[in-house]
Amino acid sequence: MNTSQALSVTAVPFGDSAVMLSTPGGSARADIIELRGRLLARRLPGVVDVVSGLESLLIEFDPLESSAEQVELAARLLAEVPADAGRGGDADASSPVRAPHRFDVPVVFDEETGPDLAAVAVEVGLEAAEVVRRIAGSTFTIALLGAAMAPMMDGLDLPRPVRRSTTPRTDVVPGSVMIAGSNAIIQPFPGPSGWRVVGRTPKRIVDIERDEPVSFAPGDTVRFVPVPRGEAEGDAHGGFLLPSGDGPGATGPDDAGPAADSRAAASTETEARA
Amino acid sequence: MIATLRVTDTGWLTTFQDLGRVGSEQRGVPTGGAADQHSASVANLLVGNPRGAALVESVGGELALVPDRDVLVAVTGAPAYVTVGDLEIERWTPVLVPAGCELRVSDIHSGTRVYVAVGGALRAPRLLGSVAPDARMGFPQTIATGSAIEVETGFAGFDPAALDALADDEAALRLPVPELCFGEGEQGEWTVDVVESAELDRVPGMRELLAETLYTVTDRSNHVGLRLDGAVTHPESDEEIVSHGVPVGALEVPHADELIVLGRYRSLTAGYPIVGFATRASLPVLGQAGPGRALRFRWVDRRDAVLRHAAREHELRALEIAVRDSFARLGYSPRATPASALAEPGQHPTTR
Repeated sequence: MNTSQALSVTAVPFGDSAVMLSTPGGSARADIIELRGRLLARRLPGVVDVVSGLESLLIEFDPLESSAEQVELAARLLAEVPADAGRGGDADASSPVRAPHRFDVPVVFDEETGPDLAAVAVEVGLEAAEVVRRIAGSTFTIALLGAAMAPMMDGLDLPRPVRRSTTPRTDVVPGSVMIAGSNAIIQPFPGPSGWRVVGRTPKRIVDIERDEPVSFAPGDTVRFVPVPRGEAEGDAHGGFLLPSGDGPGATGPDDAGPAADSRAAASTETEARA
Repeated sequence: MIATLRVTDTGWLTTFQDLGRVGSEQRGVPTGGAADQHSASVANLLVGNPRGAALVESVGGELALVPDRDVLVAVTGAPAYVTVGDLEIERWTPVLVPAGCELRVSDIHSGTRVYVAVGGALRAPRLLGSVAPDARMGFPQTIATGSAIEVETGFAGFDPAALDALADDEAALRLPVPELCFGEGEQGEWTVDVVESAELDRVPGMRELLAETLYTVTDRSNHVGLRLDGAVTHPESDEEIVSHGVPVGALEVPHADELIVLGRYRSLTAGYPIVGFATRASLPVLGQAGPGRALRFRWVDRRDAVLRHAAREHELRALEIAVRDSFARLGYSPRATPASALAEPGQHPTTR
C-alpha cells in the first residue's frame, strides 16, 4: 500500500484553466487514486472539478481564483504529507472519499449476452468457459468513472491484454460487461462501444432518477458473479446496483496492469463518439 | 406567481439549458451546458436572473413562445430576426412580452445558437443539479411544440410613473451590454486564441501550420467536438498516451487528417496528442461555429488568455449591477426571487 508514503508529482498546464497532474513511478495507477483522495478531501480554492484519468488527474480551476502554479504547489504539498497524518489514527473513518465498498455483480455469460466471448477466448488461447472463470475470479478495482458514470476497472486476470473491436459496435445494450486491455467496464446506457462484450448484468448501473445516480466510486472493488440466464430474469438479481459490503480496505490496486494495454483499453471515448 | 409560456414553434431543436454541471466531471459526467456560455450568461443577466439560471436554447429554425402574463425576456446568441407580435425587437436587451403576444425568433444566421431567458426561475427537470441536456445519460431536455414552460416570477410590470419619468431620458436606462463579438475576418473567418500544449513539440511543424491554416468546420461536428478540415501533421514517435481528462477547447490531432476542438460534452481521451487549448475567452465564439465556418487560430500566452477572460468577467459584473440599478429605478427588484449568483460565489462557474 502506498497510503503512508510521499508521492512524486508532476504538473503540466493544460490551457488557461486546467493543470494535468501525474504521479510517475512504478505504482502510478494506485498513487493517482491516493492523490485524488487527498485533493478532494481539501477542496482547493478556485478548483472547479477533478477529472480522473488512468494515470493522471486533470484539475480544472477558475483562473480568476487560482492558477496552475497554485494548484501545483498544493498538490506537491499534499503529496509530501503522509496520508494518515492528522487523521486521528483511523484512516478509514476520515477517509477523504469514503471507505471502499465491495460489489458482487451478477452476470449472465453466454453467446447472446457475450457475443465476443468466443473470439476473446481464441485470442487469449483459452476455452470460453475458462475465460468466464478467469473473469469471475478477478478482483477489479474501480479506477475511474468513465463516460456517463460507467465504472472503469483495473484487474482483469487473463493471459494477455484483450484487443479492442476492430469495428466498434454502434449499439451496445445497457448492463453489458465489457473488457479490453486488462480493464473491464459496464455499459450504463445504450450506445456505441469498441470494448469486447462478454456478458450482461441484470442490474441497473446508473439511475438518473436517483439523487445519487450511482452507488460506486473509484477505489471500490468489484467481482462478477456468474448467474444462469433463467435466474437472472427473475427479480432476485435485478434492480439498482448496491454494494455487498465494505471492501478489503484497499484504496487502490496493488498491482496495476501492464501499462501497454491501457492504450487499447482506453482509446475510445473521443474516437468513437466525437 | 407562475407565468406559463405556450411553445408554438421549436424549429430544429430547442432545449432547456444553463451553464452546466458543477463538480460532475470527477464522476464521469461532462459539465455540458450552453456551448456559448457568454450569450447564455448575458441573456439571464438582462432579465435580472443569476447568470447560471435555466433558460431556453434553440439551434436553427423558428422558435416561438406565447406567455399567459407579461414577462421580461432577452434574446442573445447568434444573429436572428426577433419579433413580438408584429413588431421587430432588438436582441441583447430586456424586452417586455405582453400576455398573449407571440415572441418569435427566426432567420438564425452566422452563428448556430440563440438563447432566450425569461425573468424568473424556469421550471425544468435537473440532473446532478443542472437542467442542461445530457443525451448520453438519457436526459435530452427537448422542448416540444405544443408544450408549456412554467416560470416562477416576481415580475408584475414596471412602475408606470417611473417609466414616464424616465421616458425622455434614454441614457438613464442604457445598459452596458457586452454583445458577443465574432471578429469576422476578410474571408468570413472567426479568430480563436489558443495557448500551447506541452505536447505541441511532439508534433513537428504543427505550431506553424496551426497559425497559417484556415480551417473549416465540417458537418461531422457535434456537442462532443468540432471536427475541422485543414492541414495537420502527426507525431513521429508513437508514444503511448493513456486515457486522461481534457479541458473544454482542447485541440486534438486524431489519426485522420483533421483537427478536433473538444466541446463541453467531451469525455476522457487517449492515444491522440493535444497540441493546444482554445482560451476560455474564445470558447463562446467556438460554441457558435457551425458547419462551413472558417476558423483561424492565433497563439497567445497563458497570461494574456487569463487577462482577456478577466476583462470578460468585468463586463458581466458591470452589466449585472447596471441591470439591478435600472430595474430598481423602475420599481422591480428581481433579487427578491431566486438565489443570486452574487450571493453564492463559486456556485456558478464563470463563463467557460
